Amino acid sequence: MSIMEYNGGSVIAMVGKDCVAIASDLRLGNQALTVATNFEKIFPVTDRIYIGLPGLATDVTTLRERFRYRVNMYTIKESRTIEPSTFAHLVSSTLYERRFGPYFIEPIIAGLERNPATGELSPYIAGADLIGCLNFAKDFVVAGTASDKLFGVAEGLWEPGLEPEDLFETISQTLLNAVDRDAYSGWGAIVHVITKDKVISRTLKGRMD
Amino acid sequence: MAVAAAAQTGFDFSSASRNAYLAERGVKLPNATSTGTTIVGCLFQDGIVLGADTRATAGPIVADKNCEKIHYVTESIRCCGAGTAADTEFVTALISSNMELHALSTGRKPRVVTAMTMLKQHLFRYQGHVGAALVLGGVDSTGAHLFTIHPHGSTDKLPYVTMGSGSLAAMAVFESKWQPNLSRQAAIDLVAEAIAAGIFNDLGSGSNIDVCVIAPEKTDMLRNYIMPNERVQKEKTYGFRRGTTAWTAEKIRSLIINEEVTQVGNEAMDTS
Amino acid sequence: MNTVDVQQLKSGEVNLGTSIMAVQFEGGVVVGADSRTTTGSYIANRVTDKLTYVHDRIYCCRSGSAADTQAVADIVHYYLQTFTQFIGRPPTVHIAAETFQQLCYENKDALSAGIIVAGWDKENGPSVYNIPLGGGLFRQPWAIGGSGSTYVYGYCDATYRDGWGRDETIEFVKNTLALAMSRDGSSGGVIRMAVITEDGVERLFVPGNELPKFWEGHEVLPTVASVGPPPPVVPMVVE
Repeated sequence: MSIMEYNGGSVIAMVGKDCVAIASDLRLGNQALTVATNFEKIFPVTDRIYIGLPGLATDVTTLRERFRYRVNMYTIKESRTIEPSTFAHLVSSTLYERRFGPYFIEPIIAGLERNPATGELSPYIAGADLIGCLNFAKDFVVAGTASDKLFGVAEGLWEPGLEPEDLFETISQTLLNAVDRDAYSGWGAIVHVITKDKVISRTLKGRMD
Repeated sequence: MAVAAAAQTGFDFSSASRNAYLAERGVKLPNATSTGTTIVGCLFQDGIVLGADTRATAGPIVADKNCEKIHYVTESIRCCGAGTAADTEFVTALISSNMELHALSTGRKPRVVTAMTMLKQHLFRYQGHVGAALVLGGVDSTGAHLFTIHPHGSTDKLPYVTMGSGSLAAMAVFESKWQPNLSRQAAIDLVAEAIAAGIFNDLGSGSNIDVCVIAPEKTDMLRNYIMPNERVQKEKTYGFRRGTTAWTAEKIRSLIINEEVTQVGNEAMDTS
Repeated sequence: MNTVDVQQLKSGEVNLGTSIMAVQFEGGVVVGADSRTTTGSYIANRVTDKLTYVHDRIYCCRSGSAADTQAVADIVHYYLQTFTQFIGRPPTVHIAAETFQQLCYENKDALSAGIIVAGWDKENGPSVYNIPLGGGLFRQPWAIGGSGSTYVYGYCDATYRDGWGRDETIEFVKNTLALAMSRDGSSGGVIRMAVITEDGVERLFVPGNELPKFWEGHEVLPTVASVGPPPPVVPMVVE
């Protein structure tokens, strides 16, 4: 058994036109036994950054609190909110610090990055492995027990320049269809679409088996 | 305690015992991203040319189709990394930062051997557990230098080198075609051909060819110098009709702060 | 397996398969080595220099793990530099060898390093020290080491004579290494040598195609020519 399969769960993030989306399933399992169907793995970091933490549930909680602490400290010390690219490196170094005793989490980061010169917001997504190797993708990033399936479906469905509502459909269908073929993920899903003036969070109807 | 925590550097082993216990119970660790990789370097008449493919893998999965494997150390020293991706990333970043500090404290341009020694000592200390296989190249006051550094901390100095899973394919190209005093363009072409040999013959390597030319006057990072594996335009789109996905709840968080200003009293402020 | 096998390399470790040698003569020492570095069956470096400078008149020949022996040699090099500054005179070969020995003995569980230290100093003239795997220290008139050395102990015992001069010693080292390299798969490439005397260090190089040749056998089966011409090719009959 892989440690990722102990609690199960999957996360995906996608880039759209002036927006990003991040989605996860809602299952919490104890190996094959489903314990809860409302276990959210995606957390807001700032207004415009969300982080998904698929993996061992105990580490989901630990890391969420560690990131909350470190982002708060950053905000106080720097007197400004953290940008996604900075936050990605914060995540990366937090994970690499435990290179020889890692957290069993493969984080996914999605947000809108502000250009310091023009003030424009541009989509930003990143993934990392359990020891903090960042993966900056221009299209989508996936992680969790259904990552293989998510890679395949997303590779087929994703296209550039999706408007927020279209991005919602694409990420939702990608996630739903991938987790339907993964025993350790599913039991409903949640999608967050981050645009420049609002964040739309929708709970999806999915198979409950 | 707070002071001790602030001063602490290096790795945190506090979860190591927990994870060792899990491993003992037969729990497998997830695959860390590795760069199967073809990385090469060769000497030419003015300096060094480095090359790399751009594939990152996690087991059999291609984790990143266009990652950067030629890392910045200093302006005229660069380092290609193969092996555990996080290790190559962090070890080069660490040495890059120490090289900058070294340059600042000595007031001189740092040398390639300095970077090589710092890297080999770091890797030797971790006895191969920091899994970085590197090709280090650069130009300094003593000339152009090219090294390979293995994960256990051994180094070799050679005029042309290859590393990673595609190193055999790339070395075949070098062994048959490299010669001393190549011109700049001939060296770039040779490096690109060596990387292409890795991309097309080694499963761990793929996607694009990155090249970096380090000469005494300047360094040129030629990112995606050749892209032999570009995805063709999809014939049709798979856009879903809006409303395809059934959802049960919606929450909208508005990021626009609406402010209504209500004037209390209508006299202008006295600014006299 | 209960015991720790000190010869066991860590997986993927770079190995100096190696044939190394050092011989003292009247006015100095000759050190020599092959040039092959391997990772498994792949030759990672075919022109390696395993003769490593540790002081002006002291060199070491490295065998075993490349990482371990480089790290040890770097430490000794650093120590001898410091020694020279503090004491104000160059170290003896014995001091260099002792430093190697101490590192190899105290870290014997973590190291796979077989080192030969050789050089010239004012007190003792030329000397050769062998530091095999466990971290012992043995002064010898000649020493061989590495995986290739096992094939040529007999040759060395039968050939070596006291009182040789420089040129005879060079020939002895060259021939011994060529024999070792021809029998040992983990040794090969070129021969690198260094002659260390009071006057200085002279580096010698024998390319792979100019190695001394010995009896290389002959074909036992008759050659193709003596069998006669092959039968003419007859096209296959197709009905």
